[in-house]
Amino acid sequence: MITSPVKLWRRQKNTASLIGKKGEILQWTIIRVPAKSFMDQAPYPVVIVKMENGENMIGQLVDWQEKDLMIGKEVISVLRLLRTEPKEDIIYYNIKFKPL
Amino acid sequence: MINILGAYATKFGELWNISPRALAKEVMENALKSFGLKASQIDALFVGNMLSGILGNQTNLGSLVAEELGVQIPAFRIEGACASGGLALHNAINSLKAGQYKTVLVLGIEKMTDHSQDEITTALMAAGSDEERMAGSTFPGVYALMAQAYMRKYSVSEEDLAAVSVKNHYHGSLNPKAQFQSPITIADVMKSSKIADPLKLLDCSPISDGAAAVVITSENTIRKVKKPIQIVASEVATDTLSLHDRKSFTSLSAVVEASGKAYRKAGIKSGDIDVAEIHDCFSISEAIATEDLGFSEKGHGAKDIAQGRRTLSNGDIICNPSGGLKACGHPVGATGIKQIVEITEQLRGEAGKKQVKGAKIGLTHNVGGSGTVAVIHILQN
Repeated sequence: MITSPVKLWRRQKNTASLIGKKGEILQWTIIRVPAKSFMDQAPYPVVIVKMENGENMIGQLVDWQEKDLMIGKEVISVLRLLRTEPKEDIIYYNIKFKPL
Repeated sequence: MINILGAYATKFGELWNISPRALAKEVMENALKSFGLKASQIDALFVGNMLSGILGNQTNLGSLVAEELGVQIPAFRIEGACASGGLALHNAINSLKAGQYKTVLVLGIEKMTDHSQDEITTALMAAGSDEERMAGSTFPGVYALMAQAYMRKYSVSEEDLAAVSVKNHYHGSLNPKAQFQSPITIADVMKSSKIADPLKLLDCSPISDGAAAVVITSENTIRKVKKPIQIVASEVATDTLSLHDRKSFTSLSAVVEASGKAYRKAGIKSGDIDVAEIHDCFSISEAIATEDLGFSEKGHGAKDIAQGRRTLSNGDIICNPSGGLKACGHPVGATGIKQIVEITEQLRGEAGKKQVKGAKIGLTHNVGGSGTVAVIHILQN
């Protein structure tokens, strides 16, 4: 769990430049037994996305339906609340993917 | 020339009545005893462990195990995720080859079942990448992504993958030290609860406690070795921390690289292997491993297992006679050394009901993370 503001700042420096980028699903799975801080979101899909610039990214798929879970499905990167933090921790936002 | 002297593994499973310290003491003393050795004959200790710092707030394991053995010799803790055991042995071998020490004890140890499942899931992800953790992925998740890719590319069914667990549970049923000693069926695997699609509970290795130790030497003078077992190759390769940064999701290049080097060092071909202990953290792992090691053609690993080609008594290259990680258990830091103990017993003809008849050359395949580190050892009698 990240609690240091400076650590979070360092990690999030580039986040803005990653928003609104398109790509397609290369592989997908549904996580049903997650790590502690993702418990309240399970089950949720995790996808490897082939981005338009040729790079691969890994991320959670949000706003999804069963039919979106297919290889080649177009997705776009969005900024979302990452996970549930303990009450006094910094609220963390991160890149996730949304079906198009 | 590196010879194995003592070799011992504890029972694997939920060992709630024994502390990590007591477990370390038990395994070291028994490894020494198994060959009539004394602690005073050991020049250094190497410990493979992954999680003691994260789960138990206990690092500094080198000194801890030296204290338990009652010695004040050099002692090192080596970490490389689930390949910590194999890496510890590799480093121990290097120290012998360098001439720094002559006889050393290598142990792998892990105590996991004192902690809840979500704590363990979180702790194990320390072996992954930041991107994978931020994506909410887990280790079953990362291997599930490989399974999806593999099944699609080679038209392999979930039932074919389930056959890996069925085989390993059958082998586990012959191993009195295995965590699970009951056979299972394809139907059992198929109806077990989903962990990360398409992987189900019975596709996954369990959370376990356990320890294993070997004593290795570069000296032939310790005493005449009755049934000498030599380590003829010890090779390591690494890869990216993240799965998504790799070219292939259906092959682990670290395994291809390390095993290729190991075969060359040993002067053998993959087909010369009689018995292998494979890092089957998930059913998909063993299917891919048997291809990366050259036992099966690409895309045929799972099918060959389903057809019995890796099963005791009717297979050609027998994989995981111990039951593997799936049935024997997977105390992560101990696994790499347990594999060496199993192959040593196999090559000495002392493996009991799970003996591979006439086994002469054995291989161990120990993998950390999603294939971020692979350690291959080849043993010969």
